[in-house]
Amino acid sequence: MRYSFYPGCEMEGAAVPYLKSFEAVAHVLGIELKEIPDWNCCGATVASGVIGDYPAQVMSARNLALAEPEGADIIVPCSSCYMNLAITNRKFKEDGHFRQMANEALGEVGLKYNGSLNVRQVIDVMVNDVTLDGIKAKVKKPLTGLRVAGYVGCQTPRVFPWEFDDPEQPVFFDKIIEAMGATPVKFPMKARCCGSSHNLTRTEIVTEACYNIITSALDDQAHIMVTPCPMCQMNLDAYQGKVKQHHKLNTSMPVLFFTQLMAIAFDLPPEAWALKHNIVSPYTALAKFGVSK
Amino acid sequence: MTGFNVSSGPLKYDTEFAKEIYALENGRHIKKCMQCGMCEVSCATRKEMDYSPRKMFLLMRTGQREEFFNSNTMWMCSTCLMCKARCPRGIPIVDVMHDLKCYAISEGYTERPQATFYQAFWTEIWNRGKMFEGGLVARYYLKRGWKEIRKDAFEMKDFGMDMMKHGRIPLKPPKSIKGLQDVHKIVEKAKAQLQKGEDR
Repeated sequence: MRYSFYPGCEMEGAAVPYLKSFEAVAHVLGIELKEIPDWNCCGATVASGVIGDYPAQVMSARNLALAEPEGADIIVPCSSCYMNLAITNRKFKEDGHFRQMANEALGEVGLKYNGSLNVRQVIDVMVNDVTLDGIKAKVKKPLTGLRVAGYVGCQTPRVFPWEFDDPEQPVFFDKIIEAMGATPVKFPMKARCCGSSHNLTRTEIVTEACYNIITSALDDQAHIMVTPCPMCQMNLDAYQGKVKQHHKLNTSMPVLFFTQLMAIAFDLPPEAWALKHNIVSPYTALAKFGVSK
Repeated sequence: MTGFNVSSGPLKYDTEFAKEIYALENGRHIKKCMQCGMCEVSCATRKEMDYSPRKMFLLMRTGQREEFFNSNTMWMCSTCLMCKARCPRGIPIVDVMHDLKCYAISEGYTERPQATFYQAFWTEIWNRGKMFEGGLVARYYLKRGWKEIRKDAFEMKDFGMDMMKHGRIPLKPPKSIKGLQDVHKIVEKAKAQLQKGEDR
């Protein structure tokens, strides 16, 4: 399995444990990654609101054009990057006028994109390409008895509703948790918003949203929470102290990237777990699987 | 009963403003809104909004320009895509919110912190081709001024310290991408196309 890899800006900063653990588990699962050369920011949820949807999409199309010569589908771990790249890619495939106009803009610097690739979210690749049996085959330390809240986040399942999962109560992420030998809990808040970039401008929005998400996981007796989204992980992990203080909550909920948990289930070395980057300590919850500092 | 201005004639609204909004990138879709309120019940930040998307579209139709742009609605949208997934008329409400943010900035309604955040974020992308969180935060507070820095410094202290201690905020910004000039040329061209209406 060969993919062009679009890491996204967060992977070099706040989501560094995601990058470390993702690369390690990808290697084990036989996912070959080729980073898109000189990729640029996808525009996040912000560029469209400053320069408009079309210019933002054409900007993210530069990445698609740079990836096309490699001839491999693009794998995207971040939810926002996935949203921007996948929507742009869909437009190239289905809207002839858009393709013509966007290629005119890309042509300014000698680039062209024919729309030959697919943009794939990492959950989609895990379930449909690697397959659940493929994941199970690599599990050396089944996480039996671990109750996990699978927080998919808001954008991942709703970019193309029903494309690969239910937009409001997605199930594939839970299947991946199950493949690791753990028990996914019901967790009705698994696809609600974490407050996203309001963390800087209106922190209360984030603490309120995260409180609802964390208590939903606690209500279902989850031991830990995992997510495939950099923004969600940061909000739920780094703002959890504030959430607890604000709502007089005594219990902690460790929030990991799902690839970190996978690295533990695959019995990879601690560098691949990258747990030193996690702010809410996961060591107590994971002690019985031989995880310690 | 004086002061009620009840008239038996039909109410007349100024429709010019609606035309302005319909002309935006995704504006034409708003014409399909049937005021059902699905966006309202689906929205993650509805409690924070001055008006729900549905009510915004009503304000627009009744020509209340100032009320429209002075509301915080577009700035509260967190792009969670729930309204877009659920709208029974297929209106891409999230994309409409992008247009409204864009239009609000171009019309000079930039005093909200979210507008500062958006502009700071975009400047960061424009200058580097990538987003650097340290740069974004610095840019944001430089523009918001001392009062807000003092207020938030205490609030954000734990967050910043935790992130730093766990190696998640690189102190040095990443290198600019090699093709930064290319990105500029592509975006400038796309903006010119958009202005001429060639994107549709």
